[in-house]
Amino acid sequence: MTTTVCGRCKSSGAITDYQGRQNGAVVWTILRCPTCNFSWRDSEPARAIDPAVRSADFAVDAGDLQRYPKILQQ
Amino acid sequence: MNDLPNRARSISSLRDFLELLEDSGQAITWSDPVMPEPGVRNIAVAASRDANGAPAIVFDNITGYPGKRLAVGVHGSWDNIALLLGRPKGTTIRELFFEIAGRWGDQEAQISYVPETQAPVHECRLEQDINLYDVLPVYRINEYDGGFYIGKASVASRDPLDPDNFGKQNVGIYRLQIQGPDSFTLMTIPSHDMGRQIIAAERENVPLKIAVMLGNHPGLAVFAATPIGYEESEYSYASAMMGAPIRLTKSGNGIDILADSEIVIEAELQLGERELEGPFGEFPGSYSGVRKAPIFKVTAVSHRRDPIFENIYIGRGWTEHDTLIGLHTCAPIYAQLRQSFPEVTAVNALYQHGLTGIISVKNRMAGFAKTVALRALSTPHGVMYLKNLIMVDADVDPFDLNQVMWALSTRTRADDIIVLPNMPAVPIDPSAVIPGKGHRLIIDATSYLPPDPVGEAHLVTPPTGDEIDALSKRIREMQLGALS
Repeated sequence: MTTTVCGRCKSSGAITDYQGRQNGAVVWTILRCPTCNFSWRDSEPARAIDPAVRSADFAVDAGDLQRYPKILQQ
Repeated sequence: MNDLPNRARSISSLRDFLELLEDSGQAITWSDPVMPEPGVRNIAVAASRDANGAPAIVFDNITGYPGKRLAVGVHGSWDNIALLLGRPKGTTIRELFFEIAGRWGDQEAQISYVPETQAPVHECRLEQDINLYDVLPVYRINEYDGGFYIGKASVASRDPLDPDNFGKQNVGIYRLQIQGPDSFTLMTIPSHDMGRQIIAAERENVPLKIAVMLGNHPGLAVFAATPIGYEESEYSYASAMMGAPIRLTKSGNGIDILADSEIVIEAELQLGERELEGPFGEFPGSYSGVRKAPIFKVTAVSHRRDPIFENIYIGRGWTEHDTLIGLHTCAPIYAQLRQSFPEVTAVNALYQHGLTGIISVKNRMAGFAKTVALRALSTPHGVMYLKNLIMVDADVDPFDLNQVMWALSTRTRADDIIVLPNMPAVPIDPSAVIPGKGHRLIIDATSYLPPDPVGEAHLVTPPTGDEIDALSKRIREMQLGALS
């Protein structure tokens, strides 16, 4: 069952970008979070994609995206 | 295989090189089913444990990517680098270093052009409904990367303010994060050529078009990462260093590209836009942060029939990144140092792109090596990267860490260590005080000389030189022969 909740910033509404097939059947789906741009494949180990068990060290704060610096400012 | 130098010079594509590697037992095909995560990463990491002999691995049965091929570890061992340089497997790193150093500035570039209609890279062409995920069998390189990365792309671009100037075309390796089906972010810094071009295009509000080459002539990946002058063409440089011709053609958006690459993605900078990028497991072995990076929109994709997507495992070393760029981190520093100090005999900056370097020098007087170390810090690469420098005498091989440890053990006094505080530092060095600023360390492990009042102990002088090197190789061959 594919969740559309982002494992990194916990926003909902992920977009499906691609589905991998094998002998005609879908074997995994690549999703992308429109809030924090995290992309993942739903077949990955839970520790990388499941917000319940993923390391908080790599969380992105969806409420404070201004904190992330812009590179190559004029 | 008796004519390795000629065979190396005849390589014009990734396919040619994979064939050479396979003939030499240095490429294998992984046909067991493998999941993109964590299977591909696990296999790539397991292979890269053997820095001397790891083979390239071509995957042709990745679950969900039927019919697609992925190559990793193409430059993943010294044996593979040796074959690229026309030298046999088992060539020592020191010999490879002098092979490269000897080619520096020695050869003429040989550039030829192939009409677009005859260029293998344009065999198949996509101009609409592009989905990069449908072209590239990508996988998460390290488990907390922010997305799916293209880690071994040679990105070609023209100077947006001087687009007709061949020399000002830039080819560099930049990390690309796929951001949806037809977009990607590109990470660079202002001092890199691509960073300069992005800033210039946005300031003048002019388009910046790029061509992302994947699965390239194996010489380009090595030499495009070498810091050379802004107005020097990486194509010319790579051709000269390989001593071999390079075939170029035009991309659909008018950029000179390699005619024999596997895949070329054409894209255009979205002026002024930034998107969240990262983290990415980088060469120091730690993750970069999350930042907002320039984003490019894909306008077309060209590829050969049944293309091979070439990618890299990069992260905590030892990895392919170290063998890919190691020698070409050393060689420019060596060449630049010798312009001022011909006493420099070798430079080993293999470790984390030169965050640690070992330099051997014929010591002229007490303290001389420290002067040479300071000059190393002012070379183009040294300015940002050479963080820890170990200076050894010319009788110590900087590529033999046992010898380096001997020098540290017997020739270093605690007051022969210099710390230079608050110096510029590469932003992704995890030990930096703040990103972009840190301390430098110079350890003078050279011997004592006048006017130093302390004389040196009388050294044991075991036999060294070519004869001993040859005997050492022969013993190894006899040992391997006994096993087979």
